[in-house]
This record gives sequence, structure tokens and C-alpha cells, in this order.
Amino acid sequence: MPDSMRFATCILTCLRAGFLGGILLWCGAGLLLPASAGGAGTPLPDLVARGQDIFGAAGGCGCHTVPKGTLNAGGRKYDGPFGTVYSANITPDRQTGIGAWTDEQIITAIRLGRRPKGERLIPVHPYTVFNGMAAEDLRALVAYLRTVPPVNRPNQPKKITVPFFESIFLPTWLAAFAPKETPPATAPTSGLARGEYLVRAVGHCGECHTPRGMTQATDNSRFLAGNPNGPEDSKVPNITPDKDTGLTWSEEEIAEYLGTGNKPDGDVAGGLMGEVIEGTAAGYKDLTKADRLAIAQYLKTIPPIHNKVGK
Amino acid sequence: MKRHRNLRFAIVVGSLVTLAIVGFAAAQSTPNVGSGDVVADRQRLMKLNGANWADAQAKFKAGNIEAISVNAETIALNAMHIPLLFPQGSLTDKSNAKPEIWQKRAEFESAAKNLQAWAEKLRDTAKTKDAAATEAVMKDFGRQTCAACHTAFRKPLQ
Repeated sequence: MPDSMRFATCILTCLRAGFLGGILLWCGAGLLLPASAGGAGTPLPDLVARGQDIFGAAGGCGCHTVPKGTLNAGGRKYDGPFGTVYSANITPDRQTGIGAWTDEQIITAIRLGRRPKGERLIPVHPYTVFNGMAAEDLRALVAYLRTVPPVNRPNQPKKITVPFFESIFLPTWLAAFAPKETPPATAPTSGLARGEYLVRAVGHCGECHTPRGMTQATDNSRFLAGNPNGPEDSKVPNITPDKDTGLTWSEEEIAEYLGTGNKPDGDVAGGLMGEVIEGTAAGYKDLTKADRLAIAQYLKTIPPIHNKVGK
Repeated sequence: MKRHRNLRFAIVVGSLVTLAIVGFAAAQSTPNVGSGDVVADRQRLMKLNGANWADAQAKFKAGNIEAISVNAETIALNAMHIPLLFPQGSLTDKSNAKPEIWQKRAEFESAAKNLQAWAEKLRDTAKTKDAAATEAVMKDFGRQTCAACHTAFRKPLQ
């Protein structure tokens, strides 16, 4: 065979080998790495289980389920000074849910409040707070969300009654007033750091328990000091450790409450708190005892704020 | 003869009047149960339910399983009385009841029966002294009974 042909054959052989090798490497990597963009491949069972734990730690994402309705199918109504919005269908239905979204697109919606076509979410979904969730937890959450039964239920359009709300007011509000959590590099696994992570980011307790100012943003100088004008006309208690107006239960009692709804006086959590303890496919009640104690320990360390809510 | 006729007449009229008075009184009177202040009575009953539930939990923590049956039986008997303590027209300013109690009466009475059933189950399980079985009932008891009814029928924290 002439030299030039031998050379060409060599090049071609190398290219073929390289190409085949590349394919083998790609398949191998696909088997080893967790699911990535487009939901391709089967997610590891551990990742889905972890995702369900996070789902529960967030209260079962109950805003996305109408009470006694279908899991994650959306449609729950929220009235605000801006108008009315309805929660989105977050089942993996491809037409009306998030089934056709990539993992990155879902994560972007959860923590940055943007839909794939760029539309901003109204922060009834507290994305600036969920931004405090670690990337690994968000990936696990997405893996779990994809396993929920898909439901065909078109989203109900929002009714914004304030002129220029989305174009001017909302971006200004987000920049100036919205509480901003920043994500840790990895999710803390124990101790006060874990408690803080669960309270501030995943459990988003402040969304109900922190009082709001005139702009409707949470007043984080009074973190968890109670809100007399809570969601669905509720009076949400002060759970700072203030001796007169706050939460004086022991850490054990707080942990017990989150796990069962049982209060020290024998009453049981009802209403919205009862709802998030119960959750949907999971709720606060499914947190491990260690996590519930971490939350309790963290609650004892936040500044006590004098703020009487209710009688 | 005339005196007998007058006497018979008086007896008949007297009997009819007496019957009328008794009948009228019977129709007007409410069952004589409790203090007469039905809102106060039911709030005491609910507090007693809470105290019994808290006591049951304390007993469980102390390993005193069989004694929980007393608390459970108290709650069961209280549950039987719940519908009686919410008669029509008893939604006063002092009450934390929601109007749904009377709008969805069947559901309300069903919730009271549910509490009774769960309490009786807890009573019977605790009597076996089986801690694991008792724990299994107690794990869901509060949420499935107290919380479920309160969410639908009691006003939230005021």
C-alpha cells in the first residue's frame, strides 16, 4: 500500500476508534451520572427519595395543590394587591405541566422565578427565598417532581389589576424589597446550619411567619415575628423566642409539633399550619427527628421580637 | 243532679287546663343538660379533650400504656356529646365555632363520630398494653381527629 494511503487509513482508523471510544465514554458517563437536561435517563432511586424528602421539608408544595385536589395540578387561587394569580400545574404533563421543561428550566423557575419563555413568576411563589436552596437539593427535587402522576390541567391565567405591574413595579420590588437568600455550596446536614437552611430556605417559614410592610415585602428585621394579616385571613403566630409574645415551647415540644401537630396544651395544629405539617405527598411531619430538632434549635437562636399577634 | 253536672264540668275543664299548661311547658323547655350556657359548656369540654390528649401523650412517654385507656374513654364519651352542644342558634360572639357547623351539619356530626371511633380504638389498643400498637394509633390521632375537625369547623387563632 502506498505511504499516502497507509497514512489516510491510519487517520481514518484513529478517527473511527476515537469516535467509537467517545460513544462508549458518553454511554458510560450516562450510566454513572445523575439525570441531566431534558430528563433523559432514569434518575437514581436515592435521588428521587431525597427529592421527596425536600418536597416534604417545603411543606409538600401545597400551594400547588387545591385542598382535597390532585397532587401538584395547580389552580389554587391567591388574591393580592396586584390582582389574582392561580398556582401552576407542576405535574410532568407535557402539554399543561412541566414535563417538557429541562431540569435547568424547572430549577430556574423555582429559584429565579422565570419561565422558559422568560415570563416572570409573581412572587407568591417565593423564588427569592427558594434561591437559598442548594443546587443538589434542587436537582433532587426536580427528579422527584418528574415522578408525580401527570395531570392535564391548563394553567389559569393571572389577572393583574395594577397598570405596569409586571413591566415596572415587579422588577423594582424584586430589586429593592424582596428577601434574598443565597444558596450554600452544599446543603448543610446537621446542627444549627441545617436548622437555619431548613427554616430560611426550604421550609420558607418567613413567608407566613414574618410580618410584612406596606410594600408587602417581608420585614426581615422582624424575622418570624408573626403576621396578623397572613394568607387566607390567618393570624400567623410570632415564633421568635420572645418571652411575652413569642414561642416559649422547649425544643422537644417544637420538634414534636412539627412531627405530629400536637401542641403542649393538647390542642393540635389545624388550618394552614396543619396543612403544611400534613403536607401532600410529604409534609413537615415527614422530617427526621434530627431535622425537626435542628429547626427547633435554630428558632431558639433568632432575635426575640416583641410582637403580639392575636389574643 | 245539677251539682253533679257542675262538678263534672269543673273536673273536665280543670283537667284540660292542667294538660294544656303541662303540654305548653313541655313544648317550651329545652333538655336540662349542663349549666345552661351551651357555649361555655362546650368550650370546657373541648379543653378537657385537649387535657386528656396531652395527658395521654405524657403517659405514653412515661411508658404507662394501659392508663391511656382512661383518657381515650373520656374523649370518646365527650365526642358523643359534641353534636348536642352545638344546637341551632348557639353561634354567639363568645364562640369560636364556624357557621359551617350548621351549614354542613352532616359533615360536622360525622367528624364527631370519627373522633369517637378513634378514641375508642385508642382505648381498646391501650388496654392491650402494646406500646408499639398504641404508638401507631397515637401517631395519627391528633391530626386525623382534632385537626381535621378544627380546620373545617373552628375559627383559626384569634
